[in-house]
Amino acid sequence: MRFRDHLELSLSNLWKVKLRTLLTTAGVVVGIGALVSMMSFGTGMQKNVTETFKSLDLFNSITVFPAGSGPGGADPDRPDPRQPRRIPAGTAKAVLDDRALDAIARIPGVETVYPDVSFPALVRFNGREEFRLVQVLPAKIAGSRMIKLRAGKPYLSDDADEIIVNEYLLRRLDVKDPASVTGKKLEIASVSFDLGRLNPMNLSSLFQGGKLPVSEETYEFVIVGVGESTGFGPGSIWNELMIPPGAAGKIKKLPFTSIWDIFRLQEGAIGYAALNVRVSSPGEVDAVKSRIKEMGFSTFALADQFTQVRQAFFFLDMILAAVGMIAIFVAALGIVNTMVMSILERTREIGIMKAVGASDGDVRSVFVFESSIIGFAGGLLGYGLGWIVSRVINRVVNYFLARQGVPAIDYFAFPWWLFAGAMVFAVAVSLAAGIYPAHRAALVDPVKALRHD
Amino acid sequence: MRNAVAEPIPQCPSAAVEVRGLAKIYRLGRVDVPALRDVSFRIEPGRFTAVTGVSGSGKSTLLNLVGGLDTASAGSITVMGKDLAQMSRDGLARYRRIGVGMIFQSFNLLSSRTALENVEFPLLFAGVPKAERRERAAALLDQVGLAGRSRHRPIELSGGEQQRVAIARALVNRPPLVLADEPTGNLDSRTAREIVGLLAELNRSRELTILMVTHETALAREFAHAVIRLHDGRVEAEEKLR
Repeated sequence: MRFRDHLELSLSNLWKVKLRTLLTTAGVVVGIGALVSMMSFGTGMQKNVTETFKSLDLFNSITVFPAGSGPGGADPDRPDPRQPRRIPAGTAKAVLDDRALDAIARIPGVETVYPDVSFPALVRFNGREEFRLVQVLPAKIAGSRMIKLRAGKPYLSDDADEIIVNEYLLRRLDVKDPASVTGKKLEIASVSFDLGRLNPMNLSSLFQGGKLPVSEETYEFVIVGVGESTGFGPGSIWNELMIPPGAAGKIKKLPFTSIWDIFRLQEGAIGYAALNVRVSSPGEVDAVKSRIKEMGFSTFALADQFTQVRQAFFFLDMILAAVGMIAIFVAALGIVNTMVMSILERTREIGIMKAVGASDGDVRSVFVFESSIIGFAGGLLGYGLGWIVSRVINRVVNYFLARQGVPAIDYFAFPWWLFAGAMVFAVAVSLAAGIYPAHRAALVDPVKALRHD
Repeated sequence: MRNAVAEPIPQCPSAAVEVRGLAKIYRLGRVDVPALRDVSFRIEPGRFTAVTGVSGSGKSTLLNLVGGLDTASAGSITVMGKDLAQMSRDGLARYRRIGVGMIFQSFNLLSSRTALENVEFPLLFAGVPKAERRERAAALLDQVGLAGRSRHRPIELSGGEQQRVAIARALVNRPPLVLADEPTGNLDSRTAREIVGLLAELNRSRELTILMVTHETALAREFAHAVIRLHDGRVEAEEKLR
């Protein structure tokens, strides 16, 4: 049989039982629709994370820690963090101070190095108060593409009493138009130890919920820029307030922001808790990392960790695909049922086909064609359904998140391979579902079939 | 994709159909039921042979075996020099496609298709292009006197017209042999006579070899060249009339 004849014969056979064909195809449509929307969600999330990381230059970043420490006290580059690190006797621990900072800055490929410094503070603006961590960021970094501004400009000097405020925080402070705040003054209240407030006669009150020996001081900053929310979770992955290091130096503040810092202080550590290094391209990361390690520091590069992120996304995709597969499996059973029913109803027709010269292969391919057509139509319409569903979900999610100040993003992605994959998968599953019924049809005994009512 | 033109049509040797020691046994549960026992006969090319006998004598079984729809338990069937027992399933399908045309008592037309579509149906499996299919089917419908009924579905046709459509379908692949299984069984006597007359006419004009199973002895004797009478699955008598 010619391909075109196969197609015409199968289409006319399916058209004869329109309702059943429609219902069976609807099963495939729902299955493929579910699979497509789930896969596009997984792909969309991965795309958003990757693009955000890329746009923030996070693949160009290395965080440097004093040896034997790191986020949570673990060295991310250690082969087995559960094993205690052995520091050779007599080895002096390298200090992450300004000298180290200069040495790292001289490594070829390093573009910028700045200490990772932040402190807690109370922000007062527009008659509202919010408790936030203030990030100390050199003017050079604030002016780089790592910081995206919605309005205004970055501060140009490391000593300016100027501040960049994230738009998410401004919304929390009841500011309707983030662009309107540039040039306005914002207060930062910081606390520092004030031993003058310590009552040596009643130290026990310290541990019984009494007042801590701290004093509050307020500093004024001029808002020069409004930082863009990255759109990934509330606020950006950077702190919501950024000030230059010179201005930060003038602020009296607590020497720690976390328990980890307190432990460091207990150990008598000096220097910075961490340095942020920016290299000129992601390809430089490994070379710069090994040079920094040679200097006796621990490093953490997101580029390395991103493989794990990819793995996590792969698992997410697989889980989402598995859920979609259940729908496809049910649809496949629908196809098997329809085709088996069709064979029972068309037994006499199969007998006639054989009597006039159709081979087993001809009969088999007529039925395989029919199930493939159901799969093709189901795949096409299912992809459309998946697209529509994801558009609706995206709108609804963005509508609710916009009310919380999160900018709209596309949570779903529809790359070309998703369409191709959905079509191939729909046809392949339908083909597989049609093989058994088609095989049964091919083996029908023509003599019995011709006597069949 | 098969090419109808490339397929060789079986050559006619001395005998169109030669049946030797043919037996067919059906197994019903644990009981063997013989339908045909040691049947032998020979049909020369271009002859119109009728097979008669009472119900259950094995007429239809014989026709199904010669038509390649069923396989024999013993013996051999040679059609145009080809032993059917030696053919594979695909070989038998090819034989049914181009070596033989079959006509049934209940017409066996596809109810959802028009007369024209029914006639062209076998050509689908021969890989004949659509235009040629239409042309050949229309010509045959014209030949069997149904030129004006080509767009009608079987339900819109009388029994005689339906059987004419079935005859046109049996001839569409230009087979050298036509097998007719009780072609008049569902027809009134006048129409039955017309149909057998049409078969006889096609036998003459196209030099077709025809093997017709019928219980209407009078019609068989009027039109056929020879009559084979079956009884209890055996050849009871073989009579040459012309």
